[in-house]
Amino acid sequence: MSTSVLVPRRRGPKPHPRIAQAKRTWYLLRRNKLALVGLGIILMIAGIAVYSATLPLPWSNVPIWCATDYGPQNSQSGSPGNFTQDCPTTAPIICTYEVTPPPNAARFCNGLWYPDIVRSNISFASIIAPTLSVSPLSFGPMPLGGLATSSGSRTPIYDVYTSLLRGSDWSLMFSVSIVGLGALVGLLVGAIAGFYGGILDETLMRIVDVFLSIPTILFVIVVVAVLSVDIPSGAGSTVIIKIVAMILGFTIVWWPFYARIVRGQVLTVREQKYVEAARASGARQRRILLRHIVPNSVFPVFIQFSLDVGTIPLLIGSLVFLGFGSLLFPSTPFPEWGSISAVSVSDLQLDFLTSCYTAATGCVIPWWQLLFPGLALFFFAISVNLLSDGLRDALDPRLRR
Amino acid sequence: MSTYVVRRALLIPPVLVGVVTITFVLFAALPVQYQLTAHFGSPTVKQRCGYQPSCSCATLNPASIVGNNCTCISPPTNTTRAGICANPVYQEYVNKLGLDKPIPEQWAQYIYRSFTFQWGTVSNHSTVATVYPVLKGVPVTTAVEWELPYTMELAALSLLIILGVSIPLGNLSAVNRNRPVDQISRVISFSGYALPAFLLGSFMVAGIVLLFLPHTGFLVKGPWCPGGEPLDEEITYSIPQALACYPGLAVGGTYPAWVANGVHSTPTGVYTLDALVHGNDWLAADSLVRILLPALLIAYGAIAGLLRFVRNSMLEVMNLDFIRTARAGGVPESVVTSRHAGRNSLNVTVTVLGLTFAAFLGGFPVIEDVFHLNGIGEMLAIAANPNPGLDFGVIFGTTILFTFIIVIANLIVDVLYAFLDPRVRLG
Repeated sequence: MSTSVLVPRRRGPKPHPRIAQAKRTWYLLRRNKLALVGLGIILMIAGIAVYSATLPLPWSNVPIWCATDYGPQNSQSGSPGNFTQDCPTTAPIICTYEVTPPPNAARFCNGLWYPDIVRSNISFASIIAPTLSVSPLSFGPMPLGGLATSSGSRTPIYDVYTSLLRGSDWSLMFSVSIVGLGALVGLLVGAIAGFYGGILDETLMRIVDVFLSIPTILFVIVVVAVLSVDIPSGAGSTVIIKIVAMILGFTIVWWPFYARIVRGQVLTVREQKYVEAARASGARQRRILLRHIVPNSVFPVFIQFSLDVGTIPLLIGSLVFLGFGSLLFPSTPFPEWGSISAVSVSDLQLDFLTSCYTAATGCVIPWWQLLFPGLALFFFAISVNLLSDGLRDALDPRLRR
Repeated sequence: MSTYVVRRALLIPPVLVGVVTITFVLFAALPVQYQLTAHFGSPTVKQRCGYQPSCSCATLNPASIVGNNCTCISPPTNTTRAGICANPVYQEYVNKLGLDKPIPEQWAQYIYRSFTFQWGTVSNHSTVATVYPVLKGVPVTTAVEWELPYTMELAALSLLIILGVSIPLGNLSAVNRNRPVDQISRVISFSGYALPAFLLGSFMVAGIVLLFLPHTGFLVKGPWCPGGEPLDEEITYSIPQALACYPGLAVGGTYPAWVANGVHSTPTGVYTLDALVHGNDWLAADSLVRILLPALLIAYGAIAGLLRFVRNSMLEVMNLDFIRTARAGGVPESVVTSRHAGRNSLNVTVTVLGLTFAAFLGGFPVIEDVFHLNGIGEMLAIAANPNPGLDFGVIFGTTILFTFIIVIANLIVDVLYAFLDPRVRLG
């Protein structure tokens, strides 16, 4: 196969080789339609994350409002009113009193603000959803505005639609920061081990082996459980401490994969002619490592990075589902996709089904609460996977044949 | 070959010590009372209060012990310091565990305990003890011994499914590259990778409930009950009883005599095998049906990674010269793909499968939790649940177990790989 198929026609002066490489990659990626679909979905999610910052928060008890405890007497900024009938039976978990009412707050129950359901009803869900429901127990059609009100749920009222939108920024933040930190540490360790070799390489790789011997989900659980014992639960600055602790806990688990990948790549790059040339022309070790070896062994990291980013919300969801929500997050439920879907599932456990069964009127399983967060997770992970598959095809010359 | 095995086996002790060291670092970061309960469980701690000879305190509980003091349940009389009093026995436990020694010595003791299977005791105040009262005060090794066979059964069944699907489908999609078969396998692979297992599992459970729970009442038909006897069709059972009698939903229920404490089945510990040993055929079938759906779910998730792997290694082999030679020599294409390419691409696949199985033995916390199977993953998930109490004995015990399993599986897989591929052991 001639190279003219792989390289787009060039006009003007010859660009920098790295720019040419990027252009070639983009050209090859463009030919892979599935990868483009993945890229489109990711860009859309990023757009939603930016847009959702303007939306009202899905829960009234999100910790941002809980920074200061004003006491019961001082939370008079809204009219308490007599809303006892509308009050949810379960008390919200994390904070007791709020500083300011959320923009969509309408009801004041037991010292807390709850969102105005009528207002949240105006969403795309209420337009597409039929109003029928089938008894006694079935997967019947979604009721009007079902996505926005989470009817049938026993958790404090929360809004699946808004929380999915609001959750996109947290999800992206967690995924990118956890995998990014892990990749950074792994890149550093792997590059040093592969480049310097000898006893340093042996030692570092044995340490990596040790870390890789511990199953991922178990390691995260243990690290977060140990970290959580020392952090007192409460409001205020602990929110940030807890999130940082969680990200660090995940990072400790994540870096060894990258260290191994990078080391393998560095071992082959080290023997290339251009490294030899650089060494012959008198470049120092550090310069060779940073300017020649690291930039040329970073592509597999990109691929692994894009694969891992998709799995982070799934992993977080699994952990929250297992009941570690309060260990991981400063508040439960937390507006993050994995967390939302896990909380929705917990609502639909068997005890709900059985209590639903004993109800005389019958009830519909709130399947939309499961399905839509699940779809969000699924599409995020699958789009990232498609993109990384396209990247691998574009970057790995062996697969191009 | 033997030199390779010896060389490879010599790497095991340092890695094992390293793994236990990581566990130790995490363990030593815990507050003292958690370390004590992790090791001793909840012995009843006697304490002396003021002039009183002794008053019985609560059992060792991380939540109630603060430093060197212990709160009496009934405050002793004739003491000025009501309720709180010095607890010499507590100090005794601290000394017994060696927590008063310098850190290197603690580290050495911890490594000794880990390698001699003193992994701690299940605490009375933990979530594990609340969910499984049988496990109260039981050594972690015993708890593991009871729970591991369930997980092994599940892992074995899902491995069978994985083997049956991923290798043929992977080979097929490599041979028919970029044709519809390949696209279908790509879709299966990516969707399995992106699949939230807890969501699909919950949909499955909800589906089972809808399918099997009749709408007309709670009357239960059929022999699907862990009790071993078909339910009486004339009796209306409660919902939990009824749920316990449907395939795939093992909730509560009564157990036959050979299942001790409802947890530990004799003689092998594997429920299906034991049922066969005791001649209870339909109970064996029942327990197999129970783990069928979870096994399918696990297999779906694991096939995702393996399918791409089998496909790519097959593609690499298909490009090698000896395949071209075989074709040029007139060997039929089906023989080339199955005998020449298939056999040679299998080397790598076998090692990956071995590691997958080892990882499987670490349990499936999510799936076992969704389907209410009492495997080791579920026990871990319960142990790390902070409400009402974390059980660090179980957490650290299972961590050590899994790492041991994985390190040894790594050795076996490497040796197997060297056996299959001479280039490795000679290179």
